[in-house]
Amino acid sequence: MIDFFNANQVLVQATLSGLVLALSIQVPLRMGVFSFAGAGSYGLGGYAAALLVIHLNLNALEAIGLTIVITAFVGLLLGLVISRLNGLYLAMATVAFDLIISVVAINGGTFTGESTGLYGVIVDFTTTTMFIMTVVAVLLVALSERGRTGRRTQAVRDDQQLAASAGVNVRRYRLMAFVVGGALGGLGGAMNVMVRTTIGPLDIGFGLVVLALTMIIVGGTMSWKGAVLGAIIFTWLPHFLDFIGQWQTLVYGVIVALAAIFLPRGIHGVIVDIIRWVQRRRRGTLDKPAPDPSGDPEPEQLLPPSGTSSISPSAPQQPIRGSVARSLLARGAKS
Amino acid sequence: MQELVSVISLGSIYLLFSLGMSLTWGTIDVLNFAHGSIFMFATFCAYLILGKTSLPFLAVVGIGVVVGAVLSLLVQVAAFEPILKRARNKRSAEMQILIGGIGIATIPLAIAQVQTKSNPFGLAASTFHVTVWHLGSARITNVAVFTIVVGLAIWGAISVWLRRSRQGLALRSIGVDSETASLMGINRRRLALGTMAVSGALAGLAGVMFTYTTSAITPESGDTLLIKAFAIIILGGVGSMAGVAFGAFALALVETLVLTYTSGSWVDAVAFGLIFLVLLARPAGVFGRKEVRRA
Repeated sequence: MIDFFNANQVLVQATLSGLVLALSIQVPLRMGVFSFAGAGSYGLGGYAAALLVIHLNLNALEAIGLTIVITAFVGLLLGLVISRLNGLYLAMATVAFDLIISVVAINGGTFTGESTGLYGVIVDFTTTTMFIMTVVAVLLVALSERGRTGRRTQAVRDDQQLAASAGVNVRRYRLMAFVVGGALGGLGGAMNVMVRTTIGPLDIGFGLVVLALTMIIVGGTMSWKGAVLGAIIFTWLPHFLDFIGQWQTLVYGVIVALAAIFLPRGIHGVIVDIIRWVQRRRRGTLDKPAPDPSGDPEPEQLLPPSGTSSISPSAPQQPIRGSVARSLLARGAKS
Repeated sequence: MQELVSVISLGSIYLLFSLGMSLTWGTIDVLNFAHGSIFMFATFCAYLILGKTSLPFLAVVGIGVVVGAVLSLLVQVAAFEPILKRARNKRSAEMQILIGGIGIATIPLAIAQVQTKSNPFGLAASTFHVTVWHLGSARITNVAVFTIVVGLAIWGAISVWLRRSRQGLALRSIGVDSETASLMGINRRRLALGTMAVSGALAGLAGVMFTYTTSAITPESGDTLLIKAFAIIILGGVGSMAGVAFGAFALALVETLVLTYTSGSWVDAVAFGLIFLVLLARPAGVFGRKEVRRA
C-alpha cells in the first residue's frame, strides 16, 4: 500500500487537489447557487500561497491558513456583490470572475510572473499533510450535508421562498455558499502549488471549470461522495487508458455531455436510486400495509405548529426535505 | 478615422456572432455554450476543404454557413431536446443545458486542436484576395465592407421578421410563455429547430468573416468570443435586437480604445469586467424590458 502511494505520488496529489477543487464548485451547486467561482478561488489561492511563501517566507501551514482566509474573504465580497443574481446570470458572472483572475495573472508584471508564472515555491509540505487536510475538508463538507444544516441547505436549494417562510435566512446561506466555495478553492490551489512548486496562467483559467464540472457531474452533484468518485475516476482514468492520449479532452467532453443529458445526478445518484429501489422492494415484501417513511408525508405534518412558525433553536425541529418542498410546491400549484 | 472603421467592422463580426446567441437565449431559452465551438469548427471545415481545392469567396462563406447550421441542429437534436424532455423543472434544465453545452463545446475544440496541433489556421487558400480601398484618410478592406453590409442587413432582417411576421410573433410568444404558446397551436419543436439552425448559420458566417479579417484564428478563438458575446447580450438586454447591436458596437468601441491606450493583454478583461458592471448596475441591460418570466 505504502509502495503504491509512493510510486503514484503525483497522481495521489492530483486526486486530492482535484477533489477539493470539485468540492469548491459542488458545495454552492448543492445549495442552489449556480457559481463557478471556486475555479477562480483555486487560481487566486495558488498565486496567493506562492507569493506568501516567496516574499514572506511563511511555512506551509501558515501560508495555507492565510490563503484560505484571503480566498474566503474574496468569496464573501463576490457573494455580497452578485448573490442577488440568479441562474445563468450568476453562472456567467462567476465565469467572468474566473477569467479576470487569469487576465490579472498574465498582466501582473513581475509580481505574478506574467505568462511564465511563479517558480520556486519550496516548503516542507508532504503528501501526508495534504491527505489529512483534504480529509478534514471533506469531513466538514460531509457534516454540513447532515442534520439541521443539511436540511436547511436543501430547503434553500429547492425553494427559496418556502425556505424563507420556514424561517431560514436564505441570504445568509447563499453568502455562505460563496465563502465556503472560496475557502475550499483557496485550499485546493494552495495545496497544489506547494506540491508542484510552480504556478502559471495555464494552470488556472477556464479549463479548471471544465475539469471540476466533469468530476462532479459524472460523480454526482448531490453529495461529497459524488465529488470523491469523480475526482478518483478522472485523475486515474487517463493513467489507465494510455491510448486516449491526445484525445483526452474529447473523451472528457463526450462523457460530460452524456452525463448532463442522461445522468444529471451522476454515478452517485444512480447508486442511491438502486439502494432505494432494493430497500423499497425488501420492505414491500415484508409488510405491505406499513406506510413508506421515505415518501412524502402529508403537508399538515410538516408545517410547524402555530405559534412557533419560525425555526428557532428553541422551537421543535421539523424536517424540511427537498422532496417535501417539492411536494408542497406541487400541491400549491394544483390548488 | 481609422479607429472608427475598425470599430464598425469588429462590431459587425461581434453582431453576427452574438445575434444567434441572443436569438436562442431570448426565445427558446437555450444559452448555447457550444456556440463558440460551432463558430470555430465551421471555419475549420472550410479550411479543410480549401486544403483540397481552391474555391471562390462566396463558396467559402456558404460552407461556413451550412456547417454552422448543421452542427447547431445536431446539438439541439442530440443534446438540448433530450435534456428539455427529461428535466424536472426549468432551473435544472437551464443548468443541464449549460453544462451539456460546455461538454459538447470541447468536442470540436479537441478535434481541431489535434488536427492543427493548436496552431492558427486561415482561409488564404481560396481564390479570393483581400484588397484595400482608401476612404479619405482611412483604409478599409473589401472583407470589412462585406461584413458590415451583410451583418447589418441580417440584423435588420431578423429584427423586422421578429416584429412583423406571424412566425416571428410565434417565436416571441414562446419566449414569453412556451406552454401557453403551444396551447395556441404553435409548433414549438419546429420553431426551436429553425432558430437553432439560423443561430448556427450566423456563427459559421461570423467565423469565416472573422478569419478573413484577422487572416487566421486559433481553435481556442471561439471560447473568448463566447464570453464576449455573453457580455454583449447582457449589456443590451437578453432577447432585445436593438440591444445586441448596441452591445456589439459598444464592446468593439471600448476594446479598440483599450487596445489603443494600454499595453499588454488587458483588452480581454474588458468584456469580463463589463459583465460585472452591467449585472450590478442594470441587470436587465440597456434595452432590456423588465423581466416578467423569471420569478
